[in-house]
Amino acid sequence: MKKVIMGNHAVSYGVRASEAQVISAYPITPQTHVVELLSEMCASGEIDARFIKVESEHSAMAACVGASAAGARAFTATSSQGLLLMHEMLHWAVGARLPIVLANINRAVGPPWSIWTDQNDSLSQRDVGWLQIYCESNQETQDTIPQAFKIAEQLQLPVMLVLDAFFLSHTYEIVDIIEKEQVRRFLPPYRPEIKIDVDDQHSFGNLAGPEHYMELRYMIQEAMEKAIEVVERVDREFEQVFGRRYGLIDPYRCDDAEIILVTSGTVASTTRKVIDDLRDEGVKAGSLKIRVFRPFPFEQVFEVLSRARKVAVIDRNISFGAHGIFFQEVKSALYGRSDVPVIGFIAGLGGRDITPKVVREMADRAIEGTATERYINWTGVKI
Amino acid sequence: MAKKIEFTSYKQMPIRPMTVGSMLWNLTGSWRNVRPLYDFKTSPCILGCPAGENIQRYIYLATDGRYEEAWRTIMETNPMPAVTGRVCFHPCMTKCTRADYDEAVNINAIERSLGDMGLDNPAWLPPVAASKKERIAVAGGGPAGLTCAFYLARRGYPVTLFERDEALGGVLRWGIPAYRLPNDVLDRVVASITGAGPIEVRGGVTVGSDVALEELEREYDAVFLGLGLMRSRSLGVEGEELGGVEPGLDFLRRSGGGAEAERGGRVIVVGGGNTAMDVARCALRAGSEVTVVYRRTRGEMPAIAEEIEEAEREGVRFHYLAAPAELVRRQGKLAAVILQKMQLGEPDESGRRRPVPVEGETFELAVDRIYTAIGEQADLDGIEGHVEAKWGLIRANDGTGATNRAKIFAGGDVVTGAASVVEAVAAGRKAAERIERMLCGEPEPEALEPVSVGIEEMNLEYFTHSKQTAVPRIPVAEAARGYAEIKTGFAPGQLETEAARCFSCGVCNYCDNCWIFCPDVAIDRRENEYEINYDYCKGCLVCVQECPRNALSVREEGK
Repeated sequence: MKKVIMGNHAVSYGVRASEAQVISAYPITPQTHVVELLSEMCASGEIDARFIKVESEHSAMAACVGASAAGARAFTATSSQGLLLMHEMLHWAVGARLPIVLANINRAVGPPWSIWTDQNDSLSQRDVGWLQIYCESNQETQDTIPQAFKIAEQLQLPVMLVLDAFFLSHTYEIVDIIEKEQVRRFLPPYRPEIKIDVDDQHSFGNLAGPEHYMELRYMIQEAMEKAIEVVERVDREFEQVFGRRYGLIDPYRCDDAEIILVTSGTVASTTRKVIDDLRDEGVKAGSLKIRVFRPFPFEQVFEVLSRARKVAVIDRNISFGAHGIFFQEVKSALYGRSDVPVIGFIAGLGGRDITPKVVREMADRAIEGTATERYINWTGVKI
Repeated sequence: MAKKIEFTSYKQMPIRPMTVGSMLWNLTGSWRNVRPLYDFKTSPCILGCPAGENIQRYIYLATDGRYEEAWRTIMETNPMPAVTGRVCFHPCMTKCTRADYDEAVNINAIERSLGDMGLDNPAWLPPVAASKKERIAVAGGGPAGLTCAFYLARRGYPVTLFERDEALGGVLRWGIPAYRLPNDVLDRVVASITGAGPIEVRGGVTVGSDVALEELEREYDAVFLGLGLMRSRSLGVEGEELGGVEPGLDFLRRSGGGAEAERGGRVIVVGGGNTAMDVARCALRAGSEVTVVYRRTRGEMPAIAEEIEEAEREGVRFHYLAAPAELVRRQGKLAAVILQKMQLGEPDESGRRRPVPVEGETFELAVDRIYTAIGEQADLDGIEGHVEAKWGLIRANDGTGATNRAKIFAGGDVVTGAASVVEAVAAGRKAAERIERMLCGEPEPEALEPVSVGIEEMNLEYFTHSKQTAVPRIPVAEAARGYAEIKTGFAPGQLETEAARCFSCGVCNYCDNCWIFCPDVAIDRRENEYEINYDYCKGCLVCVQECPRNALSVREEGK
């Protein structure tokens, strides 16, 4: 059944269809609708899950950790400051190898206080070991939830969905709603081999000395490396049931492109319009949306970008003292294997709109060569 | 001790960081520099009880539904909980930590409920047969004598109990009106005590006149004197012997049980103690118009506050700062009393401010009868001279009852002057214990200074405020008309409700908090016992912090 729903509710419908068993969350703008609808679904019995109210995001993730360790399918959603408060527990979920799914609505971090979008909240969690999938549309958001559970449960690693605040979270689109009966054909019930079990007692998260810690970390990296293949396989399996797939990356008109704009999130849609305009003008342009940021699809990105003459990366984030974060990853994917110049743009921080005009300006600067590889190319800053 | 597992490849390891063998090799106790330990304190209520009843313990047992054990716990130190549960001035409740938090636990009423259960279950107290050859004489069948006789008889000593009246009970019978302590309750208590062991009762025999003390001393291995106070002090006003003025105790003796006594008229009761309150309230029940005259103010009255309140509620009037100075007679009959107005001066040896006359200020009150209740004295005929006495009281050791005669012990009001039932019970038991030690040649136990606990040492986060469960009572109007017991005792369920309010100060009541909170699972829970495993206890002291009742203490390692 198709419905016009907001991005946040697309998350809720995805969770409902995935039959999550424990939901624990703390409300924060712009995430609130996600758990608001889920709590109503729990109350009405539409979803057979335990909704655990908590006093903070740290506790929300701790509750998910406990639930997941006990073998339940656990979900939470948050944003910005909330995600940062969760930080310690995010590490815990990874170290404990718990397949929790989290939806983070990208919101700029304060101070100054801001409720509008940018990616610094999720990207500052880059190194904790969560998979990160950046969504572009409401349909993709809904569909990515059951995918995320399946990926997470196969890898025994947690997965974070990332949505732009307001541009996605509060925007209404037509979504083909998935139902649990269909999803069951794709996502089997979660039956972990290891879980907290009073009849088979073990101590979890206990002390490991220097002789064992590294091996456990090695196994996490091993799972992350395997994740590239698992994400792709799960995507194909999803397509078999629902007829839709999203990929690790999403190249647009890249085959013969001389310049490729690298994007993520909702900026990808805006950029495609600009690519069409450029093509109409005879410029061989393409765009590459990076959907899965962790694990970073180095090979797939290299395949597409190494054929271009120039690459421009639009980062709605900044690693202070370095550069845009996607920019660094893209450079690293090409390093030593390709001479294609990579030009980094920083745009749209704190929710500043990245309109087609803004994207076009960045494309022009890259094509003309007024933007260089050597410096951060700020876009729209009132200098 | 479990061996530590060493993996040689990550492939042998579980994907999740978890134990596959045991972590017991990891003796985290070696990190500790302070250790928690179970260290039960003495609850403040217990320190407040003259008889040293293990109040915390019996309330805990009551919350656990173990009523017989609860009753036995009381009986270890007090053989008449059905009496003290009715008439005690309950200093335990003044000390109760809850009194500082909201309202004291109604220990008195809990004791009464358990005491009554004991009376209803005679099988709980199977009689003990004589097993010792030494014989004991107890003079006086009041609370001190009954208690002393009970504990010696329970140890197998044959006891002969002498009482000047025909019936046992002493002050409990003639000094406490039936509306506070019904006759049938007293009869059952007395029967339970005398039936509990080899006690021979000899009623109507006054030691000192009917039988000589020297004879008892000769024929028995030990003698306990619990003679009480039998004589009322006189007013010291001219003409009081001419009629109309009578000791209050004599009136109580006639009327306290509910028997018909002189009725109506205007009555003045002189005094401010418990006897004065009892006399006043009995006179009220006889249809008289009653006024209590007391030479100090209400604040200095030695009567139990509750008794004063009851008297006020029932309609007794009070004249404070007044003392009888002169009796007025018309046609030879008492008609009025002239009262001297008093004021409070410097404190006397009791610490209370001494009443001094206000020169020239008197007033007259019409009266038909005056009852005196300004203190009682011992009747030491045949006693004084053989046993050392001072100011009309026998001189005896506070803790053991020992007198100047090796075989003679004494306790209760005859030693302390007018005190309380519970103090008499305490004296009777301590003397019984001392007598037994003497007969067995055992040394005196070393006195340990008890460590108690106050509200500041409790973790009040674990408690919620609640009202004291008051004992149901009959309406005041009905109470003031007759001798029916005023307090009817807890209704079903109230005992449990009230017992559950106890904080169990300083003593574990198995709430499991320590066991639940220990982050190292280093506390072992057994049947009514916990044990700290110091191989693993890191000394974080969470157990100490989370114990609601300070039943754990901390000790530094190596000290």
